[in-house]
Amino acid sequence: MPTVEINHIYKSFGAVRAVDDVSFSVEKGEIFGLLGPNGAGKTTAIRVLLDIFKPDSGSVAILGGPISEAKKDRIGYMPEERGLYQDINLERCLIYLATLKGISPAEARLRMNDYLERFDLAAHRSKKVKELSKGMQQKAQIISTLMHQPEILIIDEPFGGLDPINTQMVKDVLREQHEKGVTILMCTHQMHQVEELCERLVLIDHGRVVLYGELSEIQRQFAGNALLVRVVGELPPLPGVVSVEAHNAASRLTLAQDAQPQDVLRALVEKNVKVEQFELAMPTLDEIFIRVVQENAQAQGEPA
Amino acid sequence: MKKFWRVALHEYGRHVLQKRFIFALLSVPFFLGMIILLVVVMVYLESDPTPVGYIDASGLLASPVPGPEPEEPDRPIPLLAFTSETEAESALKAKEIQAYFVLPEDYLESGQARLVYVKQPNDPVYDQFFGFLAANLLRDQPTAIRERILGGNEIIVRAPETNRQSSEKDWFNVLIPFMAGIVFFMAMSTTSGYLLQAVVEEKENRTMEVVITSVSPGQFMAGKVVGDIAVGLTQLVVWTLFIWLALVVGSRYVEWVRNIHFSSEMVLLAVLVMVPAFVMVSALMAAVGATVTQASEGQQVMGFFTLIMWTPYMLMITLMEHPNSPLSIGLSLFPITAPLAMLMRAGFTVIPTWQVITSVSLLVLAAGGSLWVAGRAFRLGMLRYGQRLRWKEVFSR
Repeated sequence: MPTVEINHIYKSFGAVRAVDDVSFSVEKGEIFGLLGPNGAGKTTAIRVLLDIFKPDSGSVAILGGPISEAKKDRIGYMPEERGLYQDINLERCLIYLATLKGISPAEARLRMNDYLERFDLAAHRSKKVKELSKGMQQKAQIISTLMHQPEILIIDEPFGGLDPINTQMVKDVLREQHEKGVTILMCTHQMHQVEELCERLVLIDHGRVVLYGELSEIQRQFAGNALLVRVVGELPPLPGVVSVEAHNAASRLTLAQDAQPQDVLRALVEKNVKVEQFELAMPTLDEIFIRVVQENAQAQGEPA
Repeated sequence: MKKFWRVALHEYGRHVLQKRFIFALLSVPFFLGMIILLVVVMVYLESDPTPVGYIDASGLLASPVPGPEPEEPDRPIPLLAFTSETEAESALKAKEIQAYFVLPEDYLESGQARLVYVKQPNDPVYDQFFGFLAANLLRDQPTAIRERILGGNEIIVRAPETNRQSSEKDWFNVLIPFMAGIVFFMAMSTTSGYLLQAVVEEKENRTMEVVITSVSPGQFMAGKVVGDIAVGLTQLVVWTLFIWLALVVGSRYVEWVRNIHFSSEMVLLAVLVMVPAFVMVSALMAAVGATVTQASEGQQVMGFFTLIMWTPYMLMITLMEHPNSPLSIGLSLFPITAPLAMLMRAGFTVIPTWQVITSVSLLVLAAGGSLWVAGRAFRLGMLRYGQRLRWKEVFSR
């Protein structure tokens, strides 16, 4: 049974349909990416999932059924923008938010101390939240999301405002949570982070699901007729190759629509070329994202 | 339920530990203290302790007994006897005395005395000399008669319906409900202002989004309202303590302060109208906070509410002169104006029980209704960033 299951949800605000028949599920213990351009409906979908908004129609099941007050304690949610009290000190803010998740103040303090050390924020515990830098606030927000040891993490742009070192640290934390069996639903614009962390994803655009499935499968779907080839010496003219572009140390070969990679490989062997690399050129998630969103925009009659 | 208390406790601590709250808390006793100090200093300065002379041609003060001691902060003025007016005049010119009284031979028949001065003396000179004169005129009378005559007349007005009464000596008691209304109003305005600002801020910085994924909107809102009321009560308790302290100190020096009494009926009435009023206003402010997009916009709406609540004070004269007029009764039944109008009227009339019951019942209903509206507004408006929630939406569905 999936940990999160969204079935055909619709949500409108006035005349604007923010979520339009969205369905997806997140399996227990996986890292799932929720992607989409700005205003696509990702945050609305998350809010419906968390029962902040009621859907106009459709159903949401989380941890085996509708969300309840008790289930809220098993979920960690981090919104895109900071959700911390600005005018109180960091320590008080973190303990308060943790106690709202059902843990005692003493336990919350204990856990907070560990996280503050780990996230290099211990020296700032007495500062007001508004006095912390953007990156520090982001780390504090992550601590707040993790302190009650949730079973599901729903995080919106977890890497926003973080430098490379802290980005790596957050990735490590997410992997650690993943290893513990925590289900992670991650909403981000940083495609390379999704490629690195997520196993499956859903791409929403204009409130609708436009891509959904396993990352590797989606990349295969969008691989198209391109190859990455590296040979010793000059690359000879090959049949079925439309264009050749330099791609790092290799060449990216775009094939004609009816050409097959096997034909190219055969030609290379026949021409006695020493091949060092020969692989299907998988598109990056960035490329897939742009392509899908542009195609969707054209389909909707918008300028791409 | 546990989370509800956590929200209430957090809300309470969040405001009470702020500098602005401590400033607001101490500002009232500070200004109260300043006013008392100013009055004491003025009275002290007014009582010039330079001696006052007298020439007694009537013989009534031949072997005088001292008059009553003046009340603090008045200072005692020595009264010096002179044998002739020439002698007294010389002393006046030499500034040894500030004035002198001349009691003529026929003083007992005429009741006329003459005062000679260069600069007109202040009230304590008259009070202390006439106290001295009266003490000597009555020296041969039995103590009871002497004290009765020195005590003067006291007209007591008593309401036939109750045991309530008022006299010239305890005139201040009439103003107590008035003052209580103002103090309560200030506490209510301050704390509901904090609540409004807190809700708008939580909405703006999205803290609310995180919090309501931990507690239900109903619990969150109710916790905030209770925390807010606790903040207001803290203010009231501290202010009451300071006022009590001022009265204890004041009663040692000022007679009318000694006559101040807090009737249990009045205290009960204040509690009955103010508690639901506090809940009503706090809930309304929370609802306003959830519907507006900026703190400044919320302040404007709050200003409008304050204006309506303040109406009884603007119509103060009408309420004092005609406490049982239809307007006065209407204002004390309409929930938003009821808390102040009820207390103001209570100072000047005996309010019929049915009016008290109706007013309190309407206030309780309004408080319940406001909590419901606040809950709806919270649920619908809490995540409308930069987008105002229409009141129509709150009441629809």
